[in-house]
Amino acid sequence: MQSCKKSGADSASNNNSFDRKGLLSNVSTNIILPAYTSFQTSVNTFSAAIVAFNAAPDATKLTAAQNAFIALYKQWQWTSLYDFGPASQANFRVNINTFPTDVTQINANIASGTYNPNLLANLAAKGLPALDYLLFGVGADNNAILVQYTTDSQAANRKTYLATLTTEVKTRTDAIVSAWNGSYKATFLSADGTDVGSSLGQMVNQLVYDEEILKNFEIGIPAGVQSMGTTYPTKVQAYYSKISLQLALQHLQATQNLYLGKDGLGLDDYVAKVNAKYSDGRLLNDAIKAQFVIAQTKLQALSDPLSDNIATNNAAVVAAYTELQKLTVMLKTDMTSSLGILITFVDNDGD
Amino acid sequence: MLVSTLRFISRGWVSSFYIKPRFHFTFYGFGWVKPFGEAGTYALFALMAIAALMVTIGLFYRAAITLFFLTFSYAELMDKTTYLNHYYFVSIIAFLLILVPAGRYFSVDARLRPQSKVDYVPGWCINIFKLQLVLVYFFAGLSKLNYDWLIAAMPLRIWLPANSQLWLVGGLLTQLWVAYVFSWFGFLFDLLIGFFLLDGRYRGWAYLFVLIFHLSTGWFFKIGMFPYIMIFVTLVFFSTETHLKILKAIGRLFGAKPQNVAPDKTYQLPSAAKGIVTAILVLHFVLQVIVPFRYLMYPGKLYWTEEGYRFSWRVMLMEKGGTAFFHVKDPHTGKRAEVINSLYLTSFQETQMSTQPDMILQYAHFLADVYRKKGIQNPVVTAESYVTLNGSGSRLFIDTTVNLAAQQETLFGHNKWIRPFKDNK
Repeated sequence: MQSCKKSGADSASNNNSFDRKGLLSNVSTNIILPAYTSFQTSVNTFSAAIVAFNAAPDATKLTAAQNAFIALYKQWQWTSLYDFGPASQANFRVNINTFPTDVTQINANIASGTYNPNLLANLAAKGLPALDYLLFGVGADNNAILVQYTTDSQAANRKTYLATLTTEVKTRTDAIVSAWNGSYKATFLSADGTDVGSSLGQMVNQLVYDEEILKNFEIGIPAGVQSMGTTYPTKVQAYYSKISLQLALQHLQATQNLYLGKDGLGLDDYVAKVNAKYSDGRLLNDAIKAQFVIAQTKLQALSDPLSDNIATNNAAVVAAYTELQKLTVMLKTDMTSSLGILITFVDNDGD
Repeated sequence: MLVSTLRFISRGWVSSFYIKPRFHFTFYGFGWVKPFGEAGTYALFALMAIAALMVTIGLFYRAAITLFFLTFSYAELMDKTTYLNHYYFVSIIAFLLILVPAGRYFSVDARLRPQSKVDYVPGWCINIFKLQLVLVYFFAGLSKLNYDWLIAAMPLRIWLPANSQLWLVGGLLTQLWVAYVFSWFGFLFDLLIGFFLLDGRYRGWAYLFVLIFHLSTGWFFKIGMFPYIMIFVTLVFFSTETHLKILKAIGRLFGAKPQNVAPDKTYQLPSAAKGIVTAILVLHFVLQVIVPFRYLMYPGKLYWTEEGYRFSWRVMLMEKGGTAFFHVKDPHTGKRAEVINSLYLTSFQETQMSTQPDMILQYAHFLADVYRKKGIQNPVVTAESYVTLNGSGSRLFIDTTVNLAAQQETLFGHNKWIRPFKDNK
C-alpha cells in the first residue's frame, strides 16, 4: 500500500486548530471527484463494449466486455465510499452493488421481458452483481456463455436485459457526477462543521459504514462468521468473475486512501492534530495506519477465487475478518470520538 | 412543553424511536411500559400535546397537568435509549405542578369559574420549584468536581475545537486555555448559580449569566430544547411584580383588558390534603438529594461503569464512544455466530447501547430469546465491546468470557462483568 510522509502535524501543540475546510477541499478535489470521474469513464467504456457485443456477439467481444467489466468493478471499490449527498439521495450504492445477486429474479425478468428498476425485489437483480452473473455466470465457460446470447431461445431477451442494466448504471452514474460537478461541491465545502449533517460528519459516517460493508459482506458473511460456522462461499462479491479478493484489496486501499487524504490534508492529519492516543499508548494515527497494513497483509495471504479459499482454508479468511474488525473499532470508536464526530444516522435531542 | 412535544412529533422521532425499533430498552421495574403500536403511540403524543396546550392556557388545569405528567413520563419510560436529563427534569416539574394551583390566575379556568380565582399562593407553591432548580444546578456542578473535567478539561477540549467553524468565536474554541475557562466557568456556574438566584441582590446579574450560559451551550452543542427550558424555568426566582408585568404584557398581546380588581384572595390547601401534600413533598426532596449520591455504592469509575449515572443531573460530562460485537454460541455444538446488530437495533440504539452496561445486558437477554426461538437451547451470549472514554483510546469494556444470558439485571447490584477501566489490555 502506498505510504506517504506529510508535514504539518504538530502533535505537541496545544492549539487544536485544524483546517477542516482544507481537508474537505483536498478530499473532494483530489479524491472524490477523480473517483467519480474515473468510474464514469469506466462505465462509458463498459457501455460501449456491451453495445458492440449485443450488436454481434462473438468470443472477442465477450472477452472485451468481460475485461471492461472487471475494470469497472475495481473502480467501483474506489467509489462506494461516498454514499452521501447526491449519492445518498439516489441510493446509489444499493442500486449499483447489492450482492449476492438473485439469479432466480434475473431469469424471471429475462423470461418475462419486463423489468421495473424501482421494484425493491429487483435491487438484487441489477447493478454490477447482476452484470457479473450475466457476463460470467450464465454458462460454464465462454463458449457456453456465448450460446446464451446467440442461439438460446431467450438470447434476445437476455441481450435486452444486459443492455437495460448497463444503461441504468450509466444513467445513475451520470446523475451523481453531474450533481458533484454542479452545485454539490460548493455545498460540500460549506458544511465544514462536525455535526451529523456536516460534510465531515457524513463522510466519516460513510467511511465507517463502507468499511463494515467490506468486513461483513465481502468477507465475514461468506466465511460464516455470522451463521454459526455455516459458510456461504457463493455470497462473495463478484462470485462469477472470481475477482472477489482483488476487489476487497482495492476497497481497503480506497478506504486507506481517503483516511490519508491521498497525499494532502486527510483524516490522518486531523487525528494527529488532536494528539489522540490509542489504549496501548501509541498515537492513534500510527495505530490506525498500522492496522490498515495488517489487514491488507491478512487479505494478501488469501487468493482468488475467494469462494475456494472459504471452502479450503476458512481460518485464514476469518483471520482477515478479525483484523478488519479491529480496524472498524479504531475508525468507528477511537477516531470519531477523538474528533467529536457522532456515529449515528439520526439526529437526536442530546444533552 | 408544548413546543417540545410538537418538535418531537414533527421530526419524525415518534416513528424512529418508538415504532420502528423491534426491541426497546426498558427501565428496571418498568418492563411493562411498552409502545402501543403505531396508532397508539401517536395517540399518546397527541394526548400529550393537547394536555400541554391546556396547561398553557390554563383550562381544566389540574386534570391537564396530571395527564401531561403521565403521558410524558410514559413516553420517557418506553426506551432508555432516549433518556435525557432534561426529559427527567420536565417529568419532575410536571409532577410538582400537579401539587400547586397554577391554574387559578391568568387562566381560562379563572375566567370560566371566577370563584376559583386566587391572587396569592402560599410561599411553598413557589419555593418547591426554586428548591428543585437549586438542586439541579448544584448537583450538575458537583458532578463536574472531578479530575477529567477540571484538570484535564475533558471532554470540552474535544468538543470545543469540533466547533471551530462557528462565526466569530470559532478560532478561540481551538485554544486549549478556552477549554479550561469553559470547564471552570461551567463548574462554578452550576455549583453557585442556584444560590445567587435565590438572593434578590444578585438575581439580575445571575439571570444574565443564566442567559449567557444556556444560550452559548445551546449554540455550541446539539442539545435541543434544554437551554430554552432552563431559561424560562429559572424565571420562577423573580419577584411577583416582575411576573405580573410579564403576564400583563402577554395579556395585552391577546387583547385582554387589564383587570383592576384589587388582589386579595389567597390560596389555601384543604386541610385534609395538607398532610398528604407535605408528605409527598418531603419524600420527593429527600429522594432528590439521595439519588444523585447512589453512585457511591458502586466500585470502579462512575463514567466507565455508569452505575448510578442516570437521574443525577450529570449533563455533558463525557465523550464516550463504543463498538459492540455480540456472539451467540450453541453450547451443544460449540459453534458461534456474530450478531448483526442492525437486524434488531436502530443505529441510535446501537450507539447508545455499546457504552452502557445495563443496555448491553438487556440486549444480550433479548438475543438469547431470539436464538432460543431459533431452536438453540441455552444459548451463550457474550459481548465484545470496545469503548473509549474522554480520549482514553478504545479498550475492552465487558468481560468477553461471561455468558450475559445467565446474568440477571438488578436494581442496585454491581455488575462484576464490567472490566475495570484501568486495566489497559
